[in-house]
Amino acid sequence: MAGSAAKRKSDFSTLPKTKSRKPRGSGGPGPTRGVSKEIERIDHLFYTYADSSSGMIDPEGIETLCSHLEVPHTDARILMLAWKMGCEKQGYFTLDEWRSGLKALRADSISKLKKAFPELVQEVTRPSNFQDFYPYAFRYCLTEDKKKCIEIPVACELLNLVLGLQFRSQVDKLVNYLKYQSEYKVINMDQWMGFLRFCNEINFPSLDNYDSDLAWPLILDNFVEWLRENKS
Amino acid sequence: MVLHKYGEKLYAGLESTMTWRLKEISKSIEAAQGGLFLEELNTKWMDHNKALQMIRDILMYMDRTYVPQSRRTPVHELGLNLWRDHIIHSPMIHSRLLDTLLDLIHRERMGEMINRGLMRSITKMLMDLGAAVYQDDFEKPFLEVSASFYSGESQEFIECCDCGDYLKKSERRLNEEMERVSHYLDAGTETKITSVVEKEMIANHMHRLVHMENSGLVNMLVDDKYDDLARMYNLFRRVSDGLSTIRYVMTSYLRETGKQLVTDPERLKDPVEFVQRLLNEKDKHDKIINVAFGNDKTFQNALNSSFEYFINLNNRSPEFISLYVDDKLRKGLKGATEEDVEVILDKVMMLFRYLQEKDVFEKYYKQHLAKRLLSGKTVSDDAERSMIVKLKTECGYQFTSKLEGMFTDMKTSQDTMIDFYAKKSEELGDGPTLDVHILTTGSWPTQPCPPCNLPTEILAICDKFRSYYLGTHSGRRLTWQTNMGTADIKATFGKGQKHELNVSTYQMCVLMLFNSTDGLTYKDIEQDTAIPASDLKRCLQSLACVKGKNVLRKEPMSKDISEDDTFYFNDKFTSKLVKVKIGTVVAQKESEPEKQETRQRVEEDRKPQIEAAIVRIMKSRRVLDHNSIVAEVTKQLQARFMPNPVVIKKRIESLIEREFLERDKADRKLYRYLA
Repeated sequence: MAGSAAKRKSDFSTLPKTKSRKPRGSGGPGPTRGVSKEIERIDHLFYTYADSSSGMIDPEGIETLCSHLEVPHTDARILMLAWKMGCEKQGYFTLDEWRSGLKALRADSISKLKKAFPELVQEVTRPSNFQDFYPYAFRYCLTEDKKKCIEIPVACELLNLVLGLQFRSQVDKLVNYLKYQSEYKVINMDQWMGFLRFCNEINFPSLDNYDSDLAWPLILDNFVEWLRENKS
Repeated sequence: MVLHKYGEKLYAGLESTMTWRLKEISKSIEAAQGGLFLEELNTKWMDHNKALQMIRDILMYMDRTYVPQSRRTPVHELGLNLWRDHIIHSPMIHSRLLDTLLDLIHRERMGEMINRGLMRSITKMLMDLGAAVYQDDFEKPFLEVSASFYSGESQEFIECCDCGDYLKKSERRLNEEMERVSHYLDAGTETKITSVVEKEMIANHMHRLVHMENSGLVNMLVDDKYDDLARMYNLFRRVSDGLSTIRYVMTSYLRETGKQLVTDPERLKDPVEFVQRLLNEKDKHDKIINVAFGNDKTFQNALNSSFEYFINLNNRSPEFISLYVDDKLRKGLKGATEEDVEVILDKVMMLFRYLQEKDVFEKYYKQHLAKRLLSGKTVSDDAERSMIVKLKTECGYQFTSKLEGMFTDMKTSQDTMIDFYAKKSEELGDGPTLDVHILTTGSWPTQPCPPCNLPTEILAICDKFRSYYLGTHSGRRLTWQTNMGTADIKATFGKGQKHELNVSTYQMCVLMLFNSTDGLTYKDIEQDTAIPASDLKRCLQSLACVKGKNVLRKEPMSKDISEDDTFYFNDKFTSKLVKVKIGTVVAQKESEPEKQETRQRVEEDRKPQIEAAIVRIMKSRRVLDHNSIVAEVTKQLQARFMPNPVVIKKRIESLIEREFLERDKADRKLYRYLA
């Protein structure tokens, strides 16, 4: 059972990248009755939360959804769900996004969706997917058009959310530093990607393989300097 | 006998006879007492030589036939060998001879007169007996004894002499030894004995000498002891590491004193004095290197690098150097000849070359030049231009293009004003005279500044000029920089005394208000003139608070201007001078906030330059590691300033954000250029 589930997931693992707006399930060759039934139920679930005027699940709908799922709306799993759906705008789920996401998760009810969460978490944590999920999380937070950076407090929340599980101690220090420093008010994508690279590649807490002569973003040089100072 | 095949007998007979004879001689030499020993040896040697010559002549036939055939030693050589074996190497003579020689040399070193002729004969005898005899039986022990003598003597000297005396003594000893060689030793000994003296007297004590308290190298430098320094240079040059030792001590001394000089807060109070000190310091050491160190290139380089090191320790150096030039070009050069001016400017350029932040200098130079030009304070147009040419030669066309633009503007303005008055004089009548400098935006260090409200009389003529100017030059915009102008106004005071007041445009605006009223509050003045508050305060301060120039009276009386003050026309103003120059209270040196502002503008100006350099480099290299970028950018820009690596990194990040560059996915070191 678990093996087949993993296979299904991998079929859709590239889905968020394509940002497709086409409903996947219905467009496939020879949709069986079961499938169309499933889509019906998925759509039904969508309209339970969607705002009738905009035709989307808006922040309010998401909050209701979260309460039914019994997770806080700031939980990492909601972000993962958004990623799985290929959701483009923070706080809004379109029908297409909803369909592709839930179909991929094989969930057409709240209880199934709840059950799908542990697997979703596992999926996201796989390095190949995480490389995609991590910048997605950043882009997801760019709430306005042409916005290229996120504010420090948002960045801290997001770090907690996406890296907190894997790199607890690094994230704690980094968040402390980001709140302490006053030079930067916002974080750009380059710095954001730098954080992940730092967590993945630098020995912590010894930092012995960190070399500020390499092409690290300056903010990380400062962070490391701060860490080293505070240590001694 | 040789013909009768008795050659061998003859040869053997000669050998034994000579041996017997020499044994006799050796006895008589041995018997010689004390000082006579050498003389006896010498006489006998002369005799022996003479005899030998004769014997050789007599036995010439044998020497030519028998000796080569039977491979015997030739007669003369045989005689010498026998002399060597039986006289010089005879146990009674051998050591006595050496001791006597060494004793005599020692005595001579101690100041006694000895018979140098005799000495020469003896050493020559040793040489005649073969170089090996000279070396083994005399030279080697001589060098050993000398080494221990000088080791002892140098120890004694160094305990009781100061560095200068010690060097003098060493030099004398060295010369003595060379003289000794020339008088009575073999020429080949010279390098050997001098190297002994050099090693014992100099190399072994080098560090102690250089650092000797109260008389070492540093003291010599401080007191300009050219002779001592030259002596040290010439002696130390003989030993390995000698010059580098001097250079090292000199460099650290220069850096230390230089650092004190440029960081001493007392010194920073007077920029002109500050720069003058730097120049004096440079002159002093230039002279030392020239006079005492034979203009040694390595020393010049050490001097230059030291200056570069400490001048840049103080980030106000560029400003101060520009202020120094300003001072010279304002008044300092009055009466100086053209050559003098050139010398001074050349010296300034030398300091300029040491600056790492040449762009900062340019910023200040522009400001100071603008003030000089606009206030008509420059004393020599030639000197001004000469300085610009020097900067241009040093840093290229770009560096000075704006400065040159300022000169062009001045000239054009002059022509424009002549033309204006030629064409409009009848229209203008008797009103105030206007002198406009038209400044090209960008060339001058102007800051956008809203013009103040000019008095109506002035406004009228300004408008006339505006229409004239825009009439002849279409498509231009003219804004008044009322913060940079000056005015001459005539004023009549209480008792009818008339004065001509030289004031700034702002001050004129304030004073003109008092034509219609006697008293005004600060608020009134501010409202009527629309002069920015900080400028207004400064200009009121100079009008009301400076003794002898207080054409206004302030209530309440105090040193500072407050917003509640009221100002009155000062009826009782008197001055011995007809022309009164009322300067604005303006700090010549920049105040701390002004400095910060200039600094910030410099930093802003650098950003595009650094980015341009990065893009240029990356465009040609495509992929490059971080350190190489930093190194190349620094190389490209260092003629103008030293870019800070952190700033370069920031610029790289900004370029990444704007998608000119990206980080390599795999290699943390690398950046890639995105076309």
